[in-house]
Amino acid sequence: MPTVGVSIARRFTEEVRPPRSVFVKWPMGHPLGEPGRVDTQTAVISAAFKVLVNSTEPGIIVDLPYRWKRYEDLKKEV
Amino acid sequence: MSRFKNRLMAKVLTRFQWLFERAVAKPEVYLDVGAIPWVPMTKRLSECRVAIVTTAGVHLKGEPPFDMVDKDGDPSFRAIPLSAPNGALMITHDYYDHADAEKDVNIVFPIDRLKEMAKSGLIGEVALVNYSFMGHIDGRHIDTLVRKSAPQVAGLLKSAGVDAVLLTPG
Repeated sequence: MPTVGVSIARRFTEEVRPPRSVFVKWPMGHPLGEPGRVDTQTAVISAAFKVLVNSTEPGIIVDLPYRWKRYEDLKKEV
Repeated sequence: MSRFKNRLMAKVLTRFQWLFERAVAKPEVYLDVGAIPWVPMTKRLSECRVAIVTTAGVHLKGEPPFDMVDKDGDPSFRAIPLSAPNGALMITHDYYDHADAEKDVNIVFPIDRLKEMAKSGLIGEVALVNYSFMGHIDGRHIDTLVRKSAPQVAGLLKSAGVDAVLLTPG
């Protein structure tokens, strides 16, 4: 079945080569952001689902334009 | 002592991003994964039953925790029913700092966000059972993961009619 993964360690993702991934350069233990930040969590999952739906070739890793705790980035288009 | 060391290292790597990046720059184990598996999306997302598979070490409080003594980790998995309240969940994983995930499990296991997305119609529905691994799996356990437990979870998801899976780390 189709999968999409959230990555916080791009190097590992490049090594393991999953079908579809989104990467955030965020701390370990925080792939969806901070506790209680529904907007950040939703943004990452929504971006992951866009990649799930739109990608057409295996191995894609999309670097999300979201910097850690920079909430203005959440408006950026993925 | 070893568990203390692992927990301390996890806190340091979480606090100092540059150390984490250096630590993951050179994986210790190189896997030959062959061709990248590929299954295209054939349904609209709004019609899909979506599951989460996390490697964040989440599990029900009443279940046996993941093995934190074996230095090669634990390749087993735990099922998490959709009906389980977040308060019934806990995390056993000494290899990342999960203090924040204990405040809000959604940062590693975004079950509430998926429920909201099902309600809003972005996805069809959330799977009745979701799954969790503990992401520190090394040495001899890699083979068990690749040959046994991962295919077992894939089979369970397939037989539950899951159309797509969101994978989240710890």
